[in-house]
Parts: sequence; C-alpha cells; structure tokens
Amino acid sequence: MQEFVDGLVANPSWVHYLGAMLAFGGIVVFGFVLPIAGITTWVERRVAGRIQSRIGPNRTGPAGFLQWLADGIKSLLKEDIVPDAADAPLFKLAPYVVMTGFVGAFVALPFGGPLIIADLNVGILYITAVTSLVVVGILMAGWSSNNKWSLLGGIRSAAQIVSYEIPAGLSIFPIVMLSGALSMQSIIAEQGAAPWRWFIFNNPFTFIAFFIFFVAALAEGNRTPFDLPEAESELVMGFATEYSGMRNLLFFMAEWGNLYVIGAIVATLFLGGWQIPWALAEHPVPRVALQFGTFFLKSYFWVFVAVWLRWTLPRIRVDQMMIMCWKYLVPLAFVNLLGTAAWMVVFPHGAPGVPELLCVAAAVLLGLFLRRVRYHLTRAGLKREELSYNILATERIPGLG
Amino acid sequence: MGLGAYLRNIKDAALTIADGMAVTASHLVRKPYTVQYPDRLPEGVRVQDTLPFRYRGMLEVDLEICTACLACERACPIDCIVIDATKDKAAGGFVMTRFDIDMAKCMYCGLCSEPCPTGSIHHTPEFEGADYSLESMVRKFVKAPVLAYKPKKGGETDPEIAPILERGMRYIAEFASAEGGGGEE
Amino acid sequence: MGLAGFEVEVQRETRDGGLATEDMTLSMGPQHPSTHGVLRFVIRADGEVMKEAIPDIGYLHRSIEKIAEKVGWHGFMPYTDRVDYVAAMPCNQGWAMAAERLAAIEVPKRGEYCRVIATEFSRIHSHLLSVGSMAMDIGAYTPFTHAIREREYINDLLEELCGARLTFHYMRIGGVGWDLPPGWRDKALAYIKRFEPLIDEFNDLISWNKIYTERLANVAVVSARDAIDYNLVGPNLRGSGVRYDVRRDEPYSVYPDFDFDIPVGRGEMGTVGDCFDRYIVRIREMKESCKIVRQCLEKLPGGPVIAKVPRNFKPPAGDCYVRLESARGDMGWYVVSDGTAFPYRCKIRTGSFAAISIVPKVSRNLMIADLIAVIASLDLVAPEIDR
Repeated sequence: MQEFVDGLVANPSWVHYLGAMLAFGGIVVFGFVLPIAGITTWVERRVAGRIQSRIGPNRTGPAGFLQWLADGIKSLLKEDIVPDAADAPLFKLAPYVVMTGFVGAFVALPFGGPLIIADLNVGILYITAVTSLVVVGILMAGWSSNNKWSLLGGIRSAAQIVSYEIPAGLSIFPIVMLSGALSMQSIIAEQGAAPWRWFIFNNPFTFIAFFIFFVAALAEGNRTPFDLPEAESELVMGFATEYSGMRNLLFFMAEWGNLYVIGAIVATLFLGGWQIPWALAEHPVPRVALQFGTFFLKSYFWVFVAVWLRWTLPRIRVDQMMIMCWKYLVPLAFVNLLGTAAWMVVFPHGAPGVPELLCVAAAVLLGLFLRRVRYHLTRAGLKREELSYNILATERIPGLG
Repeated sequence: MGLGAYLRNIKDAALTIADGMAVTASHLVRKPYTVQYPDRLPEGVRVQDTLPFRYRGMLEVDLEICTACLACERACPIDCIVIDATKDKAAGGFVMTRFDIDMAKCMYCGLCSEPCPTGSIHHTPEFEGADYSLESMVRKFVKAPVLAYKPKKGGETDPEIAPILERGMRYIAEFASAEGGGGEE
Repeated sequence: MGLAGFEVEVQRETRDGGLATEDMTLSMGPQHPSTHGVLRFVIRADGEVMKEAIPDIGYLHRSIEKIAEKVGWHGFMPYTDRVDYVAAMPCNQGWAMAAERLAAIEVPKRGEYCRVIATEFSRIHSHLLSVGSMAMDIGAYTPFTHAIREREYINDLLEELCGARLTFHYMRIGGVGWDLPPGWRDKALAYIKRFEPLIDEFNDLISWNKIYTERLANVAVVSARDAIDYNLVGPNLRGSGVRYDVRRDEPYSVYPDFDFDIPVGRGEMGTVGDCFDRYIVRIREMKESCKIVRQCLEKLPGGPVIAKVPRNFKPPAGDCYVRLESARGDMGWYVVSDGTAFPYRCKIRTGSFAAISIVPKVSRNLMIADLIAVIASLDLVAPEIDR
C-alpha cells in the first residue's frame, strides 16, 4: 500500500490526473455547487413567501433551511419517466449539458483573495462562453420531448439566450477596458473596498452598463420577466414539461445556481468583489474569511434583488423581448462602450469627484425609493402590530376582529 | 418612433417597475397571513371553535329531541337522509329504527336543518371527515330503536334534554322568518 | 386530419427551394394551468402566431338545468350556487327572482338590502379572482396571492353571514335565509375601509406596470358593434365602450336607491375594447361595489328579511324571464312553471357562454401568449359556460 501511494505521488500518470480531477470535480459539485443552488432556493422561497403575505417553507430544518435537501432526496426517489416517442439519448443528455454550462462557471469565480479554483487570464470571457452552453441543452430538451409545447419553449429560450448574449457581452467591455484585463482577480484588484472605488460608480456609463448587464443576465438565466421558456401559465413548464424526478430537478438547480453565478459576476465586475477595507496581512485566515463573507453578501444581495424582481413583474411576450433586446439594450450598450472609451481618453486617471457624486446620487435614489415604500405602507393603513421587520417571523397578522 | 417616445418608454418602464418593487418591498415588512393549521396553532385553540355559529359543517342529529316528523328527509334535494319510523301504539308514538345520513352525498346546503321543529338536525363546525372507505361516510345515528321526542307544553323539564333543546332552538332561531326581528340594526 | 371531431386542415406551404412548412395543431387541452376551469382550445399555429383557435366546451357540463326539474323549487336553490361558483350570490338571486315573479311574491325591503349587500360582495369576490388570475396568467404571481388574501376576508365575512365560503345558499324564495348577525355590519364596514386603498395598491403593483400594459394594450380589440353582435355582456361589453348595465338600464331589486357609476373602457393604454380596458373596468367596478355596500349598510331598514312562502311551493303555471347583473354580466333566467312543485324547465343564459364565442374571431393572428390574455380578459369561467 505504501509503495502504491509513494509511486502515485512521485510518478503521476494521466490516469491519476484524470481520477484526481474527477474526484475534485465531484467534491466541488456536490459539496459546494449543490448547496449554493439549494441555499438560493431557500432565499427565493422565503422571500417569495413574505412578498405574498405568507410564510415560505419553515418545517424542514431551522426556518426551512433544509427544504432543498428534502426536495432533492424526494426527486431521486421518483419514477424516471422517459416518454415513449421521445428521442431517448438526447432526452437523457439534455439536463447534463445544461448543468455543465452552469457548473463550469464556478471554476473561475473569485470567492476570496486566494479562493479561486483557476484564475484564468481569460476569466470573464470563459464564463460568458461556458454559460451559453445551456442553449444547446435547452434546445435538446425541447426537441427531444416530442411535445409541441416543449418545442415552443425550447425555441423561445434559444432565441432569448442567444440574443441577450450581445448586450451582456457589450456591457462587460467597459469594465474590461477600465481594468485592462479579462482575468477576474485583476478586475477585482483594480477596484477598491470603498463604494466609490467600485467600477459601478466610476463613470455614468458604467452605471448604466450595470443595469443593462443585470437585465441581460436575468434574460440569460430565464428569470422573470424573461421566463417565457418555462412560462408556467402557457406552456405548463416549457421545455421541461416532460421531465420528472431528478432530471427535472437538474434543470431547476441549473436555473437557481445560474442565479447565483449572475450575482457573483455582478459582484465581481461592478461591486468590487471580495475587497475589504483592511489589509490584515498577518492574519490570513480571518482576512480570507472576511473576503469570502463580503463576496457572499454582495452576490446574495443581487440574488435577492433578482428574486424580488421575479415576484413583482409579469412576463414579457416573445416579440416584445426581442424588441427590447435589439432596439433598446444593444444600442444603449454600444453607447456605453463608446462613452467609457471616450471617458478614458478624456480622464486617463479617472475624473476626480465623479465616483463620489454618483455614490451620493445612488444614495438619493435609494432614499426616494424607501420613501415610496413608506407611502405604500401608510396608504394601506397598517397599524404597528401588522408590521414585522423580522423576515423569518411566522407570527400571523391579526384578523379583522 | 421618435427619440422622445423612445426615452419616454424607458422612463415609464423604469418608474412603473420601481413602483411595483416598492409595493412588494412594503410587503416584506408586513406580517404573513397564514394560519399554520393544524400543528402550529396557538395553545388551546381548536380551529373548529373559531368558526362562526352558523358554519355549515358536517351534520349531527340529536336523537333525544328528534320528533320523527320526516321534514328533513322531504327537504333534502339529494335524498341523502333515510329515516325509518313506524307508529307504535304500544310505545306511544313513532319509533325510529333507522336514521342514516350519507355524508358523501350531502352538499351542506342546510335545507334539512331549516324545517326541523326542534333543531335536532343541525350543522356542526366539524369539517374533517376524510376517511378511506365510502361505507364509513354513512353516519348511522340510531343504534337501537328509539321513541321519538314529543315536545312538552310549557317547556322541557327533563334536565338532560333541556340544554339540548335550548341549543337546538337557538340554532333554528338564527334562520330568518317572516315575522322578522332578531337581526343587526 | 381529424382531431376529436374537428376537421383541421393541414396546409402545406412550399417556398422557393422546395421547403414545405406545416401549421402546428396544438391542443390547449382540458388540463392546463391557465384556462379558467376545464376548457379546451384547438389551436392551429404557424410557430407562435395563431391562425385559428377553436374552443371546445362541455367538460364541466353537469345537467344543472335538468336537475331543476327533479329537485323542486326550494331544493334547486343550492344548485344555483354551482352554476357559477365564483360569483354564487347573483345566481341565487336569479332563481329567487324568477320564482317570486311567477308567484307574485314581494320581498321585504330589508331582505332586498341584504340581497344587494351579498351580491355586491360576491361581485368584489369574483372580480378579485378574475384580476388576480389574469395577472397570474400574464406572469406576475404576487398580485394573485394578494387578491386571494383579500378574498379570504370576504370569505370570512360571508361565512359568518350564511355559514359557507363558496356555495352560499344564502338567498331563499321570498328573501334571504339569515339576517345579519350582530356585529357584522361593523366588520363589513371595517373591511370596506381597509379594502379600498388596497385596490390602489394593486393598481400600482400591476395595472400600471409597463410590461403588463404592453402585454394587454391593443390586443384583441372588440369594437362596440362586434360586442353587441356577439352578445357580450357585463365588463366585456362595457370594456368596448358600451355603457350598459342591467342594474341601471333595467333596474331590479333596490338598485335605484343607490348612487354608483358605470365604469366604461376608455382606451387609455391602447384602443377602446382591448384587453386592458376589460381588465381596468373590473378594477373600477370593485370600487363602485364598495360604494354600493357602504350606502347599503348605512341605509339598512328594519323589518323581516323574508316573506311568507309555503314549504310546498307551487307557483301558478306560466313562464318568466328574469335578468340581473352578475359579476360576468347580464345573467338571464328563463323559468317555466306548470303549476306543480317541480319546475317544468329552467334555462340559464350566462355571460361567459357568449364571451367564448368571440374567441375564434379575435384570436386570428394573435400569438399564443396573447390567447391567454384574451381568455383571462373575457373572464371565462367554465362552470358558467357548461352548466
């Protein structure tokens, strides 16, 4: 046994490399990616519950935290139905292609200073490329289901994802220009910890690029208002109608995990990633922990915003979606690209005071928004005992009497 | 589409979406509406007790005050009440040998409880009647042949029957009558 | 090719290059999350654009009209709840009015007021479900839950009044079954006070949302002429600009005592008669119903709520046609009596039955997503169509 291990360490052959990669991949997927997708579903369901005046899942685990685990085990135990007339090999392969598309992005996400699996020097380009694999998977699912409704869903999704790649990519260019590199860690290194050092507030064009990117990324992830491929009211479940059991769950895990990837990319590119205000050179473990926590909070904040948008907005129709992409987002993204380039020519070292001004403007907008929220609360005539600021509370609103 | 309309579209979209988000954000700080029934109710609360008095749940027959007038059997549109009552001179009145209500057929309309003279057949707040077999849905109220009740002039004196009769009369007093009165002003 | 009795012609278009394309025939089948009830549409579509949408009804037919001939006058009242279980009180009232007209019974004033309160609450109830599920069909799930939450309050009120939450059986021939319980009036007024600002909040959340209005504006425009030709009634008719309401134009019960407006579609987001107009007419009607309930509760007279009607009800032979404004429009009850305790014939004319007949006309060249909007905006409920 000892000789075997010594031989392994001294002379690794390609078999050993392959085994190590598979094992490592398995650990990453099952130990990290799946819980992230699961936690995202927990956030989604609890937030959706409170928005809809109800409680989300609250029985399995503390505050329903393990509901995703229960759902996963339940799906594994379900009957695996492959329709008789469906194209079985494509049908079975489709969920895995979609999963590959989204799990592949985790390799290049910077979770902390040293916490990145592979700091590729084409980081963001790689992520954009890999997440577009899901189109192939969705088309396969829609076609092989032998169901006209699934086909409609698959085709809608293909059109949507392929179209919205363009504004998403175009919105990334200003960031790449500002930081001078495609590598994720370099982009974060160019930003600072304070909000006015983030790229989002660097100049007005990147501010607008942020919103364009967020909207385009939502469309990439099949989230409402762009969830036509799985429009429940129209197509039952769109391209995933014929799927049951674990295959079905893989599609949904891909969707929720993709939501996290969107949050992570937004946090990296526009919000300064894992940067913390203190150097903490001699305490590596707390430093890395703080960085990981910052990154986690930033990405989950945008997951929360995406969930909030999902439960507020209705669905856009297919032709309106295309109009919005090609007539609104793409021209604006081009304007941002040229604007950022012009800004960099005029202010080679950054404009003094503009980031701080944009920060203040954003804070003012937030203040106006909160005032509107308060207006809604007072107009509904709510009394003190009908409000609860604890989002995990389950105490009921008192009745009419 | 001119530039003005183009920019106005963007502005309208942004403002209405932000307003919608403000409404949902305001809901995040409101208490939920859910009653966590049945296992997380407040201490000592049975949901059945919180239901109003007029709630039309499962039917119950108080055989002690049933006069065997068969008004409920005649009133039921679905024929789910079956009563066997024969006049027995020796016992001194009607003797009931069968009073079955098929709860699977019952549509909880209340037509049977309206004409009852004593309020013996009435709706209860019970609504949990699920069972595994169809036969168990037929509620048989007569265990042994029983003499029908005869209302006494001047009120009921028997202390066992008086409270049941009082409850029954209170139940049928809720129904509207042509004489009027008894309602909220 | 045949599809369960429908002969749908498959067309083969040959373009230059020899590619033949076919139209897809889809069955938006009886099991579908967004047909309101069990309806079926056979759609012939070229990709997303529909050429034809043929409705197929009958999945919820329960022979209610035939049952009337068996159960008798009083016994049929619970069945009328099931004719349109979403807005059950007006159906109760229709049957009661028909029987009262045949037997020349006069309902006491307080009974009429109780009827109006119940009917208007039922109208709010039904419109909440309609606008909520329309929002859900368009893709916004939250307004649906908010509408259902408000509906629960009405359910609680009506449960206290008559004991049931869906199949009320509140009205009787000659009046209503129960008087208002003590404390109910204050609760009802407190609810109306709470509900009216929530209609504005609902509007801010979804009605004025740009995505929502873009989905509904200029979709399935029904002109006033078409609306009258196809026999549309209620909010469908008023959404096309025709100011006709049975409560105002052929008044019955005590509606002349109340002051309320008739909201009409004005084409504010698109054209007069599009889906948005029908939707916003329902929202505004909820506000008007609140007004009516408030006036009713304030002016409530005393006295009995039911007239003396024999248990063995035998109206004289004859027939009558009674119309009233249900949540879905003009509901007509044609009842023939032959002098016995069982009606000879009962025919119910419902608003949804006419509304579904306009779907093939307006859905030409619409997208499948728009068909959902059309069905929801016409407020079709399958129990009313099939009875």
